[in-house]
Amino acid sequence: MLEAINLHKSFGSNEVLKGINFTVNKGEVVAVLGSSGSGKTTLLRCISFLEKANHGEIVFDDFRKDITKVTNKEMRQLRMKMGFVFQGYNLFRNKTAIQNVLEGLTIARKVPLAEAKDIAVSVLDKVGMLDRADYYPDQLSGGQQQRVAIARAIAPSPEIVLFDEPTSALDPELTGEVLDVMKMLASEGTTMVVVTHEMGFAQSAANRVVFMDGGVIIEDRPSKEFFSSPKEESAKRFLRRTMFDYDYTI
Amino acid sequence: MSERLLGILTDSFPKLLLSCLKVTIPLTVIIFLLSLVLGFLLALVQILNIKGLKQLARVYIWIFRGTPLLVQLYIVFFGLPSIGITLDAFTSAVIAFSLNSAAYNSETIRSAILSVPQGQIEAGYMVGLSYRQIMMRIVLPQAARVAFPTLFNSFIGLTKDTSLAASITVVELFKSAQQVAAVYFEPFALYCEAAVVYLMLNTLLTFLQSYLEKKLEWKPQTKRKWFRIPFTKEKLMPIDDNEQ
Repeated sequence: MLEAINLHKSFGSNEVLKGINFTVNKGEVVAVLGSSGSGKTTLLRCISFLEKANHGEIVFDDFRKDITKVTNKEMRQLRMKMGFVFQGYNLFRNKTAIQNVLEGLTIARKVPLAEAKDIAVSVLDKVGMLDRADYYPDQLSGGQQQRVAIARAIAPSPEIVLFDEPTSALDPELTGEVLDVMKMLASEGTTMVVVTHEMGFAQSAANRVVFMDGGVIIEDRPSKEFFSSPKEESAKRFLRRTMFDYDYTI
Repeated sequence: MSERLLGILTDSFPKLLLSCLKVTIPLTVIIFLLSLVLGFLLALVQILNIKGLKQLARVYIWIFRGTPLLVQLYIVFFGLPSIGITLDAFTSAVIAFSLNSAAYNSETIRSAILSVPQGQIEAGYMVGLSYRQIMMRIVLPQAARVAFPTLFNSFIGLTKDTSLAASITVVELFKSAQQVAAVYFEPFALYCEAAVVYLMLNTLLTFLQSYLEKKLEWKPQTKRKWFRIPFTKEKLMPIDDNEQ
């Protein structure tokens, strides 16, 4: 459904993505793993045009084009089919929770207000934030803000939802409430790409793991295989470092 | 205090008040509105990074912040006639003050717009909004709240700065006081009286500021109101959040 072919991206002389081939199929939950600086977030941001890639091709359903030549209008059309959840939530601070959700419906997609409100109420209910519908972001905890942000991302029923380290800014207690929402979405068959450091989530909720290191994809395999028998040395090392459970069982 | 002095003060007070109401306040308001519009445009061409216009805006700000207001006033009122442009005193004051204030206000507005986190703009794009919609609905309402105290500060400053217009013969509050003082030879009493009128005006404005700042706040919601969200489809209402 979504494909990036031979994606290159540099910041100045620092080459962050060195020819990435990345595919997501409908209904898949893909976890993108890797240590900091491996290019996971940049990959996600290039796919969503928040970062301008230097080279590569993008495929989204029937759409196929050189990623550097995508027009603003096409970007907007493609983004309409995506949902994006940021590490820093990025809720609109001058809007209440429900207004944040409504924005993409009534303004961007011209959904009639009454219908949009029904949708907004149902997604807020889904993430357990309906009782805070009229709160401004400043009045919500980090976990609550992120749940509203997820509601905002899924409200227009996008074909794919991209998560950029959605729990990295949260303390462990609040991480749980956000992961629960994400697991629920995964179990409903939502197509998801999740850049994360949450090994537990990658192991239990993802179908496939994409492991990146130094700007290239090292492993791209079903989640179970990846965790039980990583092939490459860098992946083994990464797992040893991040999965303490296995570290101490000698 | 002598009876004569008291008489002069009570007689001149309505005159000063009148020139405040009829000249100082209109002058200030007109200047402020014009400088807001111009300042906003100057900020916008810089933020949108429009080639040529951006550099022009920087030069403009450099000149008007780098030269004294009084000199600017003199150039417009006394200087321009020698190259064939003659303007009356009030118009000259409006032009010189607006151009000057716009340079300062544009910096306030520009920094307020830049203070809105980039992440919200990215979020706007990802929800499917256009740049224009993001500006109108997300960035500018937040920037307005950030800029408000500083802009109001410059408004209060302006009410007093307009006294400089006395030097180019605009009969505003201070000029009126000068005239009365010259007739009765009572400069101390009359200028103090003028100061009191300025103080009264700015006391009112200070109250207005705290009232407006409260109105601009995004207040905590205690009751559920989602069933009557105050905006309608397709209509851009940047201030919709401030009604609640």
